[in-house]
Amino acid sequence: MAGLIILAFFVLVAILAPILISPESLDVTKATGERFDPPSLAYPLGTDEDGRSILLLLAYGTRISLTVGLAATLISMVIGTAVGIMAGHFRGAGSHALVGVTDWFLVIPFLPLAIVLATVLGPSTLNLIIVIGITSWAGTARLIRAQTLSIEGRPYIERSKALGAGNWHQMTRHVLPNVFPLVLANTTLTVAIVILSETTLSFLGLGDPLAPSWGAILDSAFSTGAVSQGAWWYVLPPGICVVLVVLAFTLVGRAMERIMEGRT
Amino acid sequence: MIRRLIAGVAAATIVAVPAAAVPHAQAADPVVFTVGILSDIDSLNPFTGILAESYEMFQLQYATLLSTSSVDFTPDAGLAESWETSADGKTWTYTLRPDLVWSDGTPLTANDVVYTFNRILEGRYEQRNYGNYVRNITSVTAPDDRTVVMTTKVPSPIMERLAVYILPEHVWSGVDAKAVKSFANEPAEGETLVGSGPFLVVERRTGQFIRMVANDNYFKGRPQVDELVFRIYNNPDALGQALIKGEIDFASGLTADVFSTLEGQEGITTYAGSYSGFNELAFNMGAALVDGTPIGDGNPHMQDQRVRLAISHAIDRQQLVDKILDGYGTPGATIIPPTYSTLHIDPGTQTYDPALANQILDEAGYAMGPDGVRIGPDGVPMKYRLFVRTDSDSSVKSGEYFKSYLAAIGIEADIKPVDENALFEIIGRGEFDMFEWGWVVEPDPDYQLSTFTCGKRSYEDGGEVYADLSDSFFCDPEYDALYAAQSEETDQAARAEIVKQMQQIIYDNVAYVVTYYYDNLEAYRSDRFTGFVGQPEGSGSLLFQYGTYSYENVEPISADTGGEESSASASASPGASESADAGGSTAAEETSGGSNTGLIIGLVIAALVIIGLVIALVRMRSKSTEDMKE
Amino acid sequence: MSLLQEVAVGEPDPIRPRRVTGPTARIVAGKILRAVVTLAFVVVFNFFLFRLLPGDPIGLYTRGRNMDPEQIAALREELNRPIWEQFFAYIRNPFDPGIDSTRFSQPVWELIGERVWPTVLLLGTAIVIATIVGIWIGIRAGWKPGSRFDKVSTGTTLTLYSMPEFWLGMMLLIVLGVGAFGLPGFFPVGGIASPGVDTSTPAGWLNVLWHMFLPCLTLTLIYLADYSLVMRASLIDERKSEYLMLARAKGLRDVMVRKRHAVPNALLPTITLIFLSLGFVVTGAITVETVFSWPGLGLLTYEALRGPDIPLLQATFLLFSIAVIGANLIAELLYVIIDPRVRQ
Repeated sequence: MAGLIILAFFVLVAILAPILISPESLDVTKATGERFDPPSLAYPLGTDEDGRSILLLLAYGTRISLTVGLAATLISMVIGTAVGIMAGHFRGAGSHALVGVTDWFLVIPFLPLAIVLATVLGPSTLNLIIVIGITSWAGTARLIRAQTLSIEGRPYIERSKALGAGNWHQMTRHVLPNVFPLVLANTTLTVAIVILSETTLSFLGLGDPLAPSWGAILDSAFSTGAVSQGAWWYVLPPGICVVLVVLAFTLVGRAMERIMEGRT
Repeated sequence: MIRRLIAGVAAATIVAVPAAAVPHAQAADPVVFTVGILSDIDSLNPFTGILAESYEMFQLQYATLLSTSSVDFTPDAGLAESWETSADGKTWTYTLRPDLVWSDGTPLTANDVVYTFNRILEGRYEQRNYGNYVRNITSVTAPDDRTVVMTTKVPSPIMERLAVYILPEHVWSGVDAKAVKSFANEPAEGETLVGSGPFLVVERRTGQFIRMVANDNYFKGRPQVDELVFRIYNNPDALGQALIKGEIDFASGLTADVFSTLEGQEGITTYAGSYSGFNELAFNMGAALVDGTPIGDGNPHMQDQRVRLAISHAIDRQQLVDKILDGYGTPGATIIPPTYSTLHIDPGTQTYDPALANQILDEAGYAMGPDGVRIGPDGVPMKYRLFVRTDSDSSVKSGEYFKSYLAAIGIEADIKPVDENALFEIIGRGEFDMFEWGWVVEPDPDYQLSTFTCGKRSYEDGGEVYADLSDSFFCDPEYDALYAAQSEETDQAARAEIVKQMQQIIYDNVAYVVTYYYDNLEAYRSDRFTGFVGQPEGSGSLLFQYGTYSYENVEPISADTGGEESSASASASPGASESADAGGSTAAEETSGGSNTGLIIGLVIAALVIIGLVIALVRMRSKSTEDMKE
Repeated sequence: MSLLQEVAVGEPDPIRPRRVTGPTARIVAGKILRAVVTLAFVVVFNFFLFRLLPGDPIGLYTRGRNMDPEQIAALREELNRPIWEQFFAYIRNPFDPGIDSTRFSQPVWELIGERVWPTVLLLGTAIVIATIVGIWIGIRAGWKPGSRFDKVSTGTTLTLYSMPEFWLGMMLLIVLGVGAFGLPGFFPVGGIASPGVDTSTPAGWLNVLWHMFLPCLTLTLIYLADYSLVMRASLIDERKSEYLMLARAKGLRDVMVRKRHAVPNALLPTITLIFLSLGFVVTGAITVETVFSWPGLGLLTYEALRGPDIPLLQATFLLFSIAVIGANLIAELLYVIIDPRVRQ
């Protein structure tokens, strides 16, 4: 429940950010504050190295972080579900290949792989989404495959097979609806992980440096020496946002799981 | 293997090494001057290293024929005390100082100079760093031990700027053309590298430090400090902290943030010295090959001088200095920085004036469109790609500022962050509209000026287009004629006049918007050392100069506090303690770092496991009693 | 990326027996073969991916240097060998000691050799402490789910789990290293040892430990969050199993049941999962080493990607992959040997 409230709050901020904040206030050439001002009435969370309000940056960053998080999760889920169902449904070499690829992605360490991909693609928000999407689907695929295998063993699928239903029909009409609740629960947990990944990659400078996602804000803080100057107001708030959102998604995901377990 | 090779060479040729290896024992504690730097050197081999830090080592280790004055960057005496050129300007005669000797006592003669230059002239690999200096030279001879005569194809002022490190033939003749590529040029354990500069390398630990000792045989006299240590720090914060704590005496290449925190600290003097670098916003003025064949896909608007002029007026250079450099720099003007006062000009006409910029564009027929973006006379909106370098935080930051400045005059900039490697290729192929980058300008302006000549545009080789030095694709016959004239003008004053005209041409054509000249931010323990010499005197950098003036002149502050302070800094020196354990076999030397660390790891993990087990056992026992009570 | 996801979703444990038949040797050989194939894919992927990169390294190298065009052309010649030739040269020895890092102008192999030990030291220590503490917390929380200890510890570990590890590091650095909120900065702001300290003496070791404290604390907290959640989950699973009910029904004391049966059984999957989680450990190493300027492989990776320094990036990626694939293989083999159910 707490998770849902937190999420609702952040989603609201993300939607309202462009309405509440004029682009002027994020324009570096028109920034009014001093460099690294500590929190004050005018700047409740202090200012960054350009004299911009960190509170406003953060609000705008919510938009970017959530967008990247949801978009990358979507890619991850689509790939994961498709690969999982196909690997579970088909037999033979094709299925083996899919399982092999899934295992490969599971074994390869996530961050080094993402770094390599992001380096090759170049820094931009879209590339970041793609990179996270294609490095985070494997867990879902394995899960869905296992579920598909168990569903396909059920009698009514056997029957529809016997009645000559095509592969496509079986997969979309029978398997997909049955694995969907699982996909949903997995999605919320994946969003949490994807947002963490986004933060990490942006911190390493692999996102669009001009789009102030939470990770990118932390990157600026780190590279402009906020740490050595003790400018905690530049570091603390973005991290708290990440923790809250990730925690919220995790809690919601776990709750959904419990509900599903109760049902089965 | 490489190390053994040096050891072999050294053992065969050097006689009195141990004496030089031990720092001079005038006092119980040697005076150690420790400099903190942010990047390790890439090589001590002057044919291999390219980083600024490496060049600093080279010039400390090896003297050059002529030097660059600390006062105003004019050519000055080096190993040669005098030099003259023939009437046709094609024959140059250098007379070496009398009684020059290498640090190992071997006489340094004209033969060493001839050896070094011939090695570069004949070598392939050796030309990498010095090709430009020798391209014009046809012969180098030594009529006697103190005279070097060079002949050239055409007269050239570069003959007074030969920044070629003269190497000891008796050492380097043992390193053949093949071996030189992988030659580390590091001293064997307990020995010094043979050289002719003020300091000599005695020890290098990759990623940690480079230790040098004063050269007794230095021709300008032995430096005031006994040891010079360069310590490597991973980030500017650590560098600043090290200075505060007194681990180092001098910090070079600080960031503005750290520099500000050091200001006003007791015992520390901060110094923002003018530097010879600038950053610019460059335009694609019509990308083409050397033969004029157009390449790339640059927006033709960029070829309109009025558009570039408008952009120049739209950029608030002062704000960039204030915000990006935190005030440590000066607004930009021309491609020769003001630190070269004899060459630099500042026309001062392209002021920050967005209203004027808008007016220029209005008059040029770039009418404002409905969405706030102007439309060119060709019907194409003024939307341009602007590349910034992900390698540099300030470049990315500049992009943000440019975007806003340009938006104010109806131009939409699409900021594209790429790494320098990729950008170099993009520029070479002309696939850009604008980009942000910078240059560091040498005292001799030839190289910098050449980047705007027609002949330095991209070229084709085997079907591939490659970048040369030109990144603006500026091409102007008048400029090229002036370039040719200055490159053969051996009278410095007359040449300066030509160079000024050339700067004016670039400025008026707005080939670059030079955004700022940045300062070199340095800080030092003024409670311990004094005697630093700026280049140019009074305003320029204290270290990382064209020369080694500060190193030669720096001295401990006074006898009584000096003793105390220097012992403090001596304890921060790696010298004494580490040379003690290094007396073993050569094989141990390679791995000593690793085995030590391995040992530590083993011990730490063992200790932690034991602690963990004890805690776990204790907890379990108390737990089980607790459980039984339940 | 994380262990938690796998366990939390309640998926069949990955190393739990898949229906494998046949003698142990065959299973072992099969697993080794799979690891080798996985690795081979990494090598191929590593080579071809980087060929896609735009860039003119030779051009950049020569920018600002005094070089003749002929010289530059000659340099290019060396680089522009046919792709197959390059590929075979690469697979013959991906860790060719002759390949130089473009950033450090030093052989990649040498750089890695220097940086590997600090990473082993930092990660080794963090993993050992995190395992001990994490498992202990997991046992306490998992044996009595819903107890106060469980609520507090699960809340804390879930929060830690939601944290970007580098952010935790930055905060610790500000508060305990630089000093904020009135606290003096006690710990060093970065590096592995104070300059000039001889790390081969006992004083030097202390100095290293002092430098290691904050990065190690950061990693330990993050790792133990995961480990304790995993241990808790598997202990809860174990509690439900029939033999435990039976044991308790037979009147065995609670503490005996826990120590003799439940914990050892729950420990096996947890320890194996810790091995399998090396990929997750690596993530922490890269960012936390960066924050604390800890001169290990993680910082090296960060330095390599700011450039980017392709030969170095390739080598670190390969090395991390080998480490993780190797750890996976060990975990699977251990399982085959320890757990008789796999052999059936």
